[in-house]
Amino acid sequence: MSQKINLKLKVWRQKNTSSSGNFETYKVTTDTDASFLEMLDVVNEELIVSGKEPIAFDHDCREGICGMCGAVVNGQPHGPQRKTTLCQLHMRKFKDGDSIVLEPFRARAMPVVKDLVVDRSAFDRVVQAGGYVSVKTGGVPDANAIAISKENSDLAMDAAQCIGCSACVAACPNASAMLFVSAKVSHLALLPQGQPERHSRAKQMVMQMDKEGFGNCSNEYECEAACPKGISVSNIARMNRDYLKAGLS
Amino acid sequence: MFKIHRLLSERSRSVTVSGLALILFLIFHLSGNLLIYKGPEAFNAYAHFLESLGTIKYIARIGLIGLFLTHMFFTVLVVKENIKARGKRYDVSKPVGKRSLATRLMPMSGTFILVYLIVHLLDYTLADHHTVASVMNGENLGLYGLVLNSFQTPWRVIFYVLAMGAIGMHLVHAIQSVCQTFGFNHPVYSKHIKRASVFIGVLIAVGFASIPLFINVVASCSTAASCAL
Repeated sequence: MSQKINLKLKVWRQKNTSSSGNFETYKVTTDTDASFLEMLDVVNEELIVSGKEPIAFDHDCREGICGMCGAVVNGQPHGPQRKTTLCQLHMRKFKDGDSIVLEPFRARAMPVVKDLVVDRSAFDRVVQAGGYVSVKTGGVPDANAIAISKENSDLAMDAAQCIGCSACVAACPNASAMLFVSAKVSHLALLPQGQPERHSRAKQMVMQMDKEGFGNCSNEYECEAACPKGISVSNIARMNRDYLKAGLS
Repeated sequence: MFKIHRLLSERSRSVTVSGLALILFLIFHLSGNLLIYKGPEAFNAYAHFLESLGTIKYIARIGLIGLFLTHMFFTVLVVKENIKARGKRYDVSKPVGKRSLATRLMPMSGTFILVYLIVHLLDYTLADHHTVASVMNGENLGLYGLVLNSFQTPWRVIFYVLAMGAIGMHLVHAIQSVCQTFGFNHPVYSKHIKRASVFIGVLIAVGFASIPLFINVVASCSTAASCAL
């Protein structure tokens, strides 16, 4: 049964990248069946009606598969429900009278564009540095022409689930991007097509990650816990192996 | 060819490698310390053996200092980078749930170990082993006597035991972290590595801490004469 709840929101407002920003407080009455983003839509409608600037937040599919949405809700990226993106978090997770602090994902490599919107193009540059397979495109190959073990295929698909939302960076005490980069390294490293460039890929992507100014991994595994897709830190170990081998070869 | 900028780009791994070497040193150090339970002859003979190594001793000492400095230098570098990488801090930060106490306390345990290390070096390594502080029952028992006499002071025992707790905590996070950094993560064995990490950390801490505790509590003595272990 849906019901109406009253919430107090403390939201980070920042005009643009160069402005300093501050918290603003809003009151909202929302339906418990609403998603978190729908609740923000309601707040924004009220702000627009009263002639104020609506809260800027990223979103696209609202189905938990695109990786666009995300904010830190009461200190946790994507909010209190595990393996759930912000758009799939529903207001029934909150109680009447709750206070919610809403902050953007924070990392120097991902500057705030406006309010809760951050610039994640550092991720694009990391993928451009090596997250691809250089093959001649041509006709569609025969299905099953290349044998892949079930185990590797499963692990590769698990890694490929990464939607690049950057919750891992937001959750990491060091703002490290290791989980994201390792997922992108792993989904190719586990498949036959990814083998020729396997080690150089790991090296190039790690170097780009460092260049972007992400922090260092201290194996605290907050990233794995915060990941809406449950990407495993075993991918980080795989990337570390590939990176070491790239240094040795 | 060795290049300094190459090493500097391997910040995290430098912390890991130096840390791993320091763990091996701890095991070596503990095995020597436990000789104290065999009595003054065995313990002092071991101390004399180390002293008699001459040049090797100095090389080992320089190596150890190098390891500690490497470990600390790169840790400071990494921590500075990590703070910079976050930029503006969160107003509210609530761990999602996987950080253990040992992990969270790494900076505190590390800093405490550094303070302890300085005190410990002044207490025994750099101290003269043949002063009145080593005399027990009218006999100068060298380092053995110095250790036994010094642990009659309760605050020193408390400080040493707390420091060993910090070392144990540091190792609980560190050992499993070394494995992950070097790429060892396995669906079956990683669980055991985490358990082994706790076991080794606790074992080393208990091993070291047992000495001041045993001297002060079990072999507690009103006079130095009754202080034989």
